[in-house]
Amino acid sequence: MGASKIGGILQNFVSGTADVQGAALVSHDGLPLASSLPGAMDEERTSAMSAAMLSLGERIGKELSRGNVEKIMVEGADGYGILIGCGEDAVFLVLANQSAKQGLLMLDIKRAVTEIKAALN
Amino acid sequence: MSDTLASRPTLGQFSSIVCFKAVITGMEEALGEKATAIALISAGRERGKNLAKELGLSGATQDLSVIAAKLNEAIGANGTHLTAVDKIVEEGDVIKVYCSETVCSAGEPQGSDRKCTFTMGAVWGALSEVTGRKLRGIHTESVLRGGTHDVFEFTSL
Repeated sequence: MGASKIGGILQNFVSGTADVQGAALVSHDGLPLASSLPGAMDEERTSAMSAAMLSLGERIGKELSRGNVEKIMVEGADGYGILIGCGEDAVFLVLANQSAKQGLLMLDIKRAVTEIKAALN
Repeated sequence: MSDTLASRPTLGQFSSIVCFKAVITGMEEALGEKATAIALISAGRERGKNLAKELGLSGATQDLSVIAAKLNEAIGANGTHLTAVDKIVEEGDVIKVYCSETVCSAGEPQGSDRKCTFTMGAVWGALSEVTGRKLRGIHTESVLRGGTHDVFEFTSL
């Protein structure tokens, strides 16, 4: 896995996508793999939270018969936090502000996920 | 809020392993094993990191036998009783921490597939803080599965 390559993909994604404020790729056990997060955010805490959240979402999907979880979206007054599985080994976290157009954002995230998966392989 | 910490004049500082284990199994029941493990490892790392800071060990030494002794003093028989830290050795790129009587394995039947989460996290956080290295940890040998120790292996990220 090229950590610097993935770091570059994340940085390009954050700087080149409208309304995106940060992104991180974390392992399923909650460790940071690469990130481009706003300065005030703790990378390790964010990573553990993201992996735990996706795992919890998967459990909700299973226990409550909602099927496989494709993404988890947190919509707050100041923006969005989106978690999406990125292959077998990683979770992709995207932070966007409240002006983001959800459809466009999801398209950009899908493109980034495809690129990251290729780099992970 | 007052700065005075609530004390327990009758019950003292310690609580039963039975209750601690019930916290873990209760969380697993509600949140699932994976989310629980992530949360407990994360909590342990925070605890270990803060402990090392409190002991003035941040970046203090790379001598693994010194780190083992200090950790054992803090969380072993003379400390919080989380686990005994018997030795820490480095083999190639891997740091191996040998623990015994871990709180995570206590009360489990032989053959149980339970892994240490909070305990491993605490050792992990302390080791990261003391050595200044970003580490990744896994629980490799267990007293529940034929091992003489619970062994945690750490590699640099």
